Amino acid sequence: MAATQFVVNGLLVGALFAGVAVGFALIWGVVDIINLAHGEMVMLGGYTSYWVLTLVTGNAEGSPLLFLATIPVAIAVLFGIGYALQRTLVSRVIGTDIFLTLLVTFGASIAIQQLAIQAWSANPRSIQVSFADPSMNLAGIVVPKMKLVAFAGALVLTALMYVFLQKTRTGRAIRAVSQNPEAAALVGIDVEHTRAVTFGVSSAIAGGIGAFIAVILNIQPQMGLIYTLKSFIIVVFGGVGSIPGALIGGLLLGSVEELVAGFASSQWTLAVSFSLLIVLLILKPKGLFGQGAEQ
Amino acid sequence: MSTTDEESGGVLRSILPPEQVDRFLGTCDDYGWPLLGLGALIAASFPVLGLEGGYYMTVLTEMFLFAILALSWDIVGGQTGYPSFGNMAFFGIGAYATAILTKDFALAFPVAFLLAGLLAVTFAAIIGIVVLRLRGHYFAIATLGVLLVAQQVSRILDITGGASGKILLETPSAETFYYLFLGVLVVEMGLVYYLSGTRFGFVLNAIRDDEEKATAMGFNTTYYKTAAWMLAGLFTGFAGAAYSLFNTFIDPQTAYNGAWNVELIAMALLGGSGTVAGPVIGAFGLHTIIELVETFAVGWQLVLLGGAVIITVIGFPKGVVGTLSEYASQMDYYKHGGMAATDTDDGSEVSADE
Repeated sequence: MAATQFVVNGLLVGALFAGVAVGFALIWGVVDIINLAHGEMVMLGGYTSYWVLTLVTGNAEGSPLLFLATIPVAIAVLFGIGYALQRTLVSRVIGTDIFLTLLVTFGASIAIQQLAIQAWSANPRSIQVSFADPSMNLAGIVVPKMKLVAFAGALVLTALMYVFLQKTRTGRAIRAVSQNPEAAALVGIDVEHTRAVTFGVSSAIAGGIGAFIAVILNIQPQMGLIYTLKSFIIVVFGGVGSIPGALIGGLLLGSVEELVAGFASSQWTLAVSFSLLIVLLILKPKGLFGQGAEQ
Repeated sequence: MSTTDEESGGVLRSILPPEQVDRFLGTCDDYGWPLLGLGALIAASFPVLGLEGGYYMTVLTEMFLFAILALSWDIVGGQTGYPSFGNMAFFGIGAYATAILTKDFALAFPVAFLLAGLLAVTFAAIIGIVVLRLRGHYFAIATLGVLLVAQQVSRILDITGGASGKILLETPSAETFYYLFLGVLVVEMGLVYYLSGTRFGFVLNAIRDDEEKATAMGFNTTYYKTAAWMLAGLFTGFAGAAYSLFNTFIDPQTAYNGAWNVELIAMALLGGSGTVAGPVIGAFGLHTIIELVETFAVGWQLVLLGGAVIITVIGFPKGVVGTLSEYASQMDYYKHGGMAATDTDDGSEVSADE
């Protein structure tokens, strides 16, 4: 029974990891950049939601609906930040050495981290959402309501992005740029703009998920790196450029981490996840579901 | 990325003629060994001439430390082209090894120091077999993962003192560390300088430029990569081994410091990666800046470091040495026409073949 409970917890949290990873995979697939500042977008999204709620209610507490209303704000703000990041910094190193691109995004990541510490201090914060009855009990398995809301929210955001990429004109342009930037430019797509929009969309979804993380876990300026690394594990697991793969990868990672935390200790989750990653990279370098990205 | 600005070049050219830069670099290259010896001698003479243990000696010692780390990173990152974000794992292993060996096993520091280096190399060999099969982004993140896992493990184990770390009270004098770090640095510079002129060094550069071609030419690239990785592990391990006692304190956060890992990459890049002098110059330069920032702008180090990294990468990705040698060789281009600039063999060190 304990194992079932751990898996349920894992799936609930895993959907959030998957949502973060989907954005990470999008940039990797389209712009061919590992965005080491991706976790910082999660962090900034969490803080945006936190501060909007604080501005409205005076303290970071509110009804579920009020909290959900802050998420579009977080998404919009993070879209702007992502767009600007690509336009000002990342666009200058596209197509150069890998470690130049890694360093630029890492530089942005540590700078954002410390600016956040300067602005909001290093204390962890969280958003309190008031429910009459905090958790449900389904056949002996406890499901906190807010985690269920976050789970659903993450799935909705991921689905929205999938639809956006598949159905809209901009989404088609993004996929075109990902397949062949030169050909995309030839048919009149503004490649630079499209890449910046990709960065914006990726950051926006990370920001939206960040708001949910602020409710069910907590947020602090240095949380970003862990989410970047988790995203990397998930994307490698699911295969670069595969949204369903990232979704399954995220749910799996969440379950594995909760099982490790439950049966061993939460201290071991990172070590186990990374050992799994390294084993997987060696056995199946192209991921379980994707066609893989060549260097 | 290497196009230098033609308009402003005219003014600069009259102030600092490229021939002189070229002659300077040529001289440096011709007298590599005497210059290294001279530098070592000058650095070694400071304590004799009256530099007392204290702030300035600590800063200089740290400069040597970072130069060792940056140069070690460059063996794999700059010369072989594998962007490692996990070099600090060797540092941590070395640091904890001396801490545990001297404190819990009561070994003498020199013995512990050598054992720590050995341990770091062994670790590098085992990890290398696994991670060196990966390339590019995958390699970068896998090495970062190794670093984080190592940090996590040292946080859990009892013998490492857990998250609170270990305090080390019986340590050698500041002067010992000054000479120890200087000695390791000089030996490493000499070794890298020697290797960059041998078959081994050229194969490493060939792997960086095109690994498939290097393999096709019959080189066992796995062997060369692993050897380079172990060499980096050895010197990084030595640096860590001395650091824990130098610092008198070690905990998971300082031993496996991810920010330092970025710092040393920035140093190698800033000075000019793929050269011998570059990472050392970069380490001295950037550490001076960091030291100033820590004195005058506490709490903003990472913002400035991040900014410095971004500006370096975007502005001049070849670093000080790379940019200089490019500037110098441009004159050859005008003097002798097309080919002369590309097939000079008097170019500075190994960066000329990029």
